[in-house]
Amino acid sequence: MNTWKQVLSDRMPAAWAEEIDVFETQIALKKQGKVDDKLFAETRLRRGIYGQRYDNGQRHDGKAQRTLTFPSAGLLKGTDTRWDAPGMQRIKLPWGGMTPEQMDALADVAEEYSDAICHVTTRQDIQLHFVHIEDTPDLMRRLAAVGITTREACGNSVRNVTACPIAGVCRDQTFDITPYADACFRFLLGHPDVQDFGRKFKIAFSGCRENACGLVTMHDMGFIAAIREIDGAMKRGFEVRVGGGLGAVPYEAKVLEEFVPEEEILPLTQAVSRVYARLGEKRNRARARIKFLVDRLGIEEFRRLVREERKVIPHDDRWTDYIQDVPRFVDEPLKAGKAAASAGADPAYQAWRSTNVYRQRQEGYAAVTVTLPLGDITCWQMRELAEIARRYVGDNVRTTVEQNILLRWMAEADLPALFAELLRIGLAEPGAGTVVDVTACPGTDTCKLGIASSRGLAGELRQRLAARFATMDQSVKDLRIKVSGCFNSCSQHHLADLGFYGVSRKTGGRTVPHFRVVLGGQWQNNAGSYGIAIGVVPSKRVPDLVDELTAKYLAERNKGESFRTFIERSDKKELKAVLDKLAVVPPYELDRSYYSDWRDPREFTLDDIGTGECAGEVVSMIDFDLQAAERQYFEAQLHFNDGDFRKADETAYRAMLQAAKGLVRTQFQDIGDQPDRIVAEFRGRFVETGLFRDKYAGTKFAEYLFHRHEDRQRRFDRDHARHLLEESQLFIEAAHACHAGMLERAAAAKAKPAREPAAPAPA
Amino acid sequence: MNLHRLGVKFFAGDGATIALPEFLPVFHRWIQQSVLDELLLDVADYSHVHAGPGVLLVAHEGNYSVDETGNRRGLAYYAKHPQSGDVAAMLLAICAKTLRACHLLEREPTFAGKVKFSGDQLQIFANDRLNAPNTEATATALRPAIDGLLAKLYPGGKCEVVRVPDAKERFTVNVKAPADVPVGELLKRIRGE
Repeated sequence: MNTWKQVLSDRMPAAWAEEIDVFETQIALKKQGKVDDKLFAETRLRRGIYGQRYDNGQRHDGKAQRTLTFPSAGLLKGTDTRWDAPGMQRIKLPWGGMTPEQMDALADVAEEYSDAICHVTTRQDIQLHFVHIEDTPDLMRRLAAVGITTREACGNSVRNVTACPIAGVCRDQTFDITPYADACFRFLLGHPDVQDFGRKFKIAFSGCRENACGLVTMHDMGFIAAIREIDGAMKRGFEVRVGGGLGAVPYEAKVLEEFVPEEEILPLTQAVSRVYARLGEKRNRARARIKFLVDRLGIEEFRRLVREERKVIPHDDRWTDYIQDVPRFVDEPLKAGKAAASAGADPAYQAWRSTNVYRQRQEGYAAVTVTLPLGDITCWQMRELAEIARRYVGDNVRTTVEQNILLRWMAEADLPALFAELLRIGLAEPGAGTVVDVTACPGTDTCKLGIASSRGLAGELRQRLAARFATMDQSVKDLRIKVSGCFNSCSQHHLADLGFYGVSRKTGGRTVPHFRVVLGGQWQNNAGSYGIAIGVVPSKRVPDLVDELTAKYLAERNKGESFRTFIERSDKKELKAVLDKLAVVPPYELDRSYYSDWRDPREFTLDDIGTGECAGEVVSMIDFDLQAAERQYFEAQLHFNDGDFRKADETAYRAMLQAAKGLVRTQFQDIGDQPDRIVAEFRGRFVETGLFRDKYAGTKFAEYLFHRHEDRQRRFDRDHARHLLEESQLFIEAAHACHAGMLERAAAAKAKPAREPAAPAPA
Repeated sequence: MNLHRLGVKFFAGDGATIALPEFLPVFHRWIQQSVLDELLLDVADYSHVHAGPGVLLVAHEGNYSVDETGNRRGLAYYAKHPQSGDVAAMLLAICAKTLRACHLLEREPTFAGKVKFSGDQLQIFANDRLNAPNTEATATALRPAIDGLLAKLYPGGKCEVVRVPDAKERFTVNVKAPADVPVGELLKRIRGE
């Protein structure tokens, strides 16, 4: 037998094997030109195969934009996506669960088809990068043979169902939510009612309300365990929330039902799915997540529609079949629980134990976090960790949304031996869940949407902070840092004490990587509140900013005050002043380091637009207009913090108008101040002409302005003001990007006649 | 034998103290200057993981890596796509690519002669558990191709070839040659110059 299909035929679930065969056929048909590019793209996305940076066949090497001449030149795997360009394979791990056998399989496929690294994501998935599409059917078969599917890991589908990684062993849980999360995953996988969404749909389960747990409030749909007395008996159920999400504009999920008994959670989820599929936006991707539907309808109307839908769904035995198995869904510890004989004398062990070991509710057991730098683990480490799991914890392994791996049901007496084993394979780093355990999305390393190097920055912060971790104040150690490469929040930066997301700015005609700073988010209470955006600093000054802000916190906090509370009560102008101090970008001629990103020595600029004027900068009107828009946005933030939501809302709207006006003024000087006229001119000159079109987001940001402008029955409440603030900030960013694009095109047009073919760059 | 996912690693010599991130600008420059005769795509930084692939220069046909797997730094190249010829021919081509990259790194001005590779120690591996499981049968099947390669690199010399026995790891043999030959010389030999 010489194919994986033959070798594994009796080890894969029949339905999964058939799906993979179908996908392999679709690959063959695509190569024959018989499948439309867009259709194939969504097909592969629903198999977890995602595009990766440079897959349009273009890459800027720091000197010039180069074409990557792949062998299958004309063949595409999606619109403007080259067939041979390496891509990303996302692998779903429902509730983060992994067995040693699955870990071995993941390691093997990472080694043979990827780059020997398994990357743990912020939604408990595993991602492999640099994968060729033609290797994916065999990759999927090898995973299917150990019970892992990649189906619906990407695309407009129900993504990985996540859950609190300590569910079942948590000291504060209401009950173990794992069997419910598992049932939800199995019920919805490939279900006909979840195939027609306008966008993705993310579900999370949480065992309690107070801890970070499943981060329910940032999910499209979330379940928080609850127990109620019904007819004299204690009944398991869930508080159900809907319509949350991070993305560009974060929304907090609303309570759909305060208590849903366990037998009702699957039909209710199905009813929600049907309402979303029927009424959710399909054409406008930017407003297609369920959070926009819930917001548009209002939670009361949404609830009514869901309840009506629930009444008409045909009965399905699977709604309740799994419940009889719930009592049997218990972890089986491999070894007897036993307390540790002593705390040990080794300081390294003690440091590790103090941050990476969680005492379980079960006497004599602990859950151990294996810290993965930037979420990465090598295939060798994964195999070794699988062996360690076999010796100490059996199948009780989970991934976490903080990009680590958790070994549960460790006998406490074995902790010193485990530490020694982890040390041997380079996985004994302390600091889990602390300021050094920085979370980052892939950013510009591999993501097509990345603006700045989130992993580069995260790695740098991690290294610097780890060097002085031992001497840090405990309250600084306890902070969380999360870094995203763009506004899409894949690192969950809105929930961090110190969150960052990548943006760019023009200085002297060159593009400089920057990060927008989001402070004071709350990780606990299931992602209890989102941080506020304070301003922008150059990428290379972010480590200094972290130092400045933590020093300010230590110096000015009240006794026992958390960082979040400190940020909340701080004068935002003062905080902004800290940023502004670091915001200056020296001229390129004086310091080139600002003009490239962390761990990527290429110049960040997209083209050689020109050099700075030594005698001074020429500042155009648009620069002033955009600056004014930024200022108004900041003022809107202040109004919001003061609780004046109407003023915050109106000021944020004015900030958008100001930015739009600035752009219009580059073409039409006498635009005036009438909002209707500004919006009409902006629409005609910038949106309909495609000038304001983001490569990936399309007209999403422009629609933020149109939506607010046309909202004649505006509700001036906290939620709407906060959403508008986020939208305003993104609109202004888009205006900056639009202006930068205009400058670049103008410079390119000017330089074109004189340009020579690119010569090899000097060493 | 239906096998193309082959790789070769030459180990770094003693005294190499270059930090992994220092290879990043070098590989980026190789892309800028099209230094290697294949389609170079990107650079991946894994310097933060322990004993891992280090810093990768991702090419279409295969990946170059300042690799630290097994806690031993070296320069590895492994093929990802089928190339022309039989397994022996592919192994020769892959080894030639590895040696060329080693030679370039040794002469890299940035490193001022601090990067050196041992010319008497290499590793040959197969990234394919279907067609080349880590068994004696695979070792026997691949032996002619390996012997052919070693005869080119070390003519007349008797090399020690030892298979790494761990069944879960990919098929790997460690080779100890009788003499430490500079990689530049090995490159000439494999090219028949």
